[in-house]
Amino acid sequence: MSSLLLRICYGFGPPLHRQLFKWPFVLAAGKKDHIDLPVLNEEDLEEQFVRGSGPGGQATNKTSNCVVLKHLPTGIVVKCHQTRSVNNNRKLARDILREKLEVEYNGEESELLRRQRESMQRKQDKRRKVNENIEKKRRFKETLNAGGDFSIKSQEP
Amino acid sequence: MTSKKMWFLGRLMHRHKRLSQLSSFFRSASCAAEGAVAPPVDSSVTAEQAVRLWAQHFTLHGISEPLLSSQYIIAHVLGKKTFEGVDRRQLKDPLTDTQTVSVWNLCTKRLTSMPVQYVIEEWDFRDLTLKMKPPVFIPRPETEELVGLVLENLRLIRGESYGADLRCLEVGVGSGAISLSLLHSIPQLRVFALDQSQAAVCLTMENANRLGLQDRLEVQQLDVMGDSDALLSKCGPVHFLVSNPPYLLTQEMQSLQTEIVRFEDHAALDGGLDGLSVIRSILVLASELLIERGRVYLEVAQCHPPVIRQMIEETMPGLLYLETRCDLSNRPRFCIIQRRA
Repeated sequence: MSSLLLRICYGFGPPLHRQLFKWPFVLAAGKKDHIDLPVLNEEDLEEQFVRGSGPGGQATNKTSNCVVLKHLPTGIVVKCHQTRSVNNNRKLARDILREKLEVEYNGEESELLRRQRESMQRKQDKRRKVNENIEKKRRFKETLNAGGDFSIKSQEP
Repeated sequence: MTSKKMWFLGRLMHRHKRLSQLSSFFRSASCAAEGAVAPPVDSSVTAEQAVRLWAQHFTLHGISEPLLSSQYIIAHVLGKKTFEGVDRRQLKDPLTDTQTVSVWNLCTKRLTSMPVQYVIEEWDFRDLTLKMKPPVFIPRPETEELVGLVLENLRLIRGESYGADLRCLEVGVGSGAISLSLLHSIPQLRVFALDQSQAAVCLTMENANRLGLQDRLEVQQLDVMGDSDALLSKCGPVHFLVSNPPYLLTQEMQSLQTEIVRFEDHAALDGGLDGLSVIRSILVLASELLIERGRVYLEVAQCHPPVIRQMIEETMPGLLYLETRCDLSNRPRFCIIQRRA
């Protein structure tokens, strides 16, 4: 069933890695193994903030802190609104861009893509095991119930 | 909504115990907030639907950033910081009764033009999440850049680990954003912070305790303009001074957003006729409190840097104007000043 889902996902819509994973992937907290991600050159970047045309500073209280980062050489655009801090959204946007550039530059050889596929495979295996366990327990319970009836009957005089 | 509909809804709500919590709130809120609506009584609403419904409602009532407000509030009720952080599938799930009551309560508050940060009682500042409470001033994104600038400058002067043993003074601590960010990034830093508002002092201490940073922070209620003697005796020499002081011109105060005028402490914003009244006091204090070559880092109004430079050159021989830096909107926003040797 899950492999059919995979085929459907690969066949329709954006590539699987873009659909199912949260970016950044490797640079997210908890993932320690190091991949060589491309270094960003600030001159290649064009950054936009939705701040409006107001006076700014203390005179303004707006909550829009989405960051849009464009990589001029490749045209890749990253939009980040994961936190409520402009500062952190800028950092995250750059992390995400570095990961997207790694995939862009390396294509099928991408280490990031390989890690994502592995991670997904591991999740699928885990899910399959959980379902198998549930099934095993269900069958065992049925056996118990059937066995229970027998033992009561055998106790009757 | 007509009064007939409101009456009918009120009666319906009476019969539904689960939402009775909200009905009493609704009765009082409907007087306070024009446009307050009751949640659907018999059916449930999904997160997605709630966002759309309230965005429409905010728009109808002229509330600024209607969609964003709605998204932040519902994301918060779902335990996430931003709408992007909510799982796409969870958006289509019906909200629980508790969640629905929360969303309706909070959105009704937003209808009064209460800033989102006060509605959800928290906001992020760089790596920290801080508690927000009216009327204590809400940190602005420009001030995140001020902290970045201070950290970068200190690394330049004192090395990548900020050197040994650092002390600073913050004037106008507000919710504690600047001090707590610096304490978080520099383990050996000790901060003396002041604010003329007791509410700000209390909120800063609350935030410090929540973040475990209270041991390296001392906060006192002091007015930099009136209590300078007390301040000098309580706070010893410091390596640097940082401040986002009230810097708006009094005449600007009249044209501010409703959110600001109605809910934020005006004393945290109003810098007097030229916007420099508090800044002037800070600079006088700096020449007495800073160690030699110690620095002042200020966030100011965009018209201020040249005026401050001139003021220092003409009237403050103990200080040297080093540099002006712009914010992300390319407005002159930050001043770096040094105490002469």
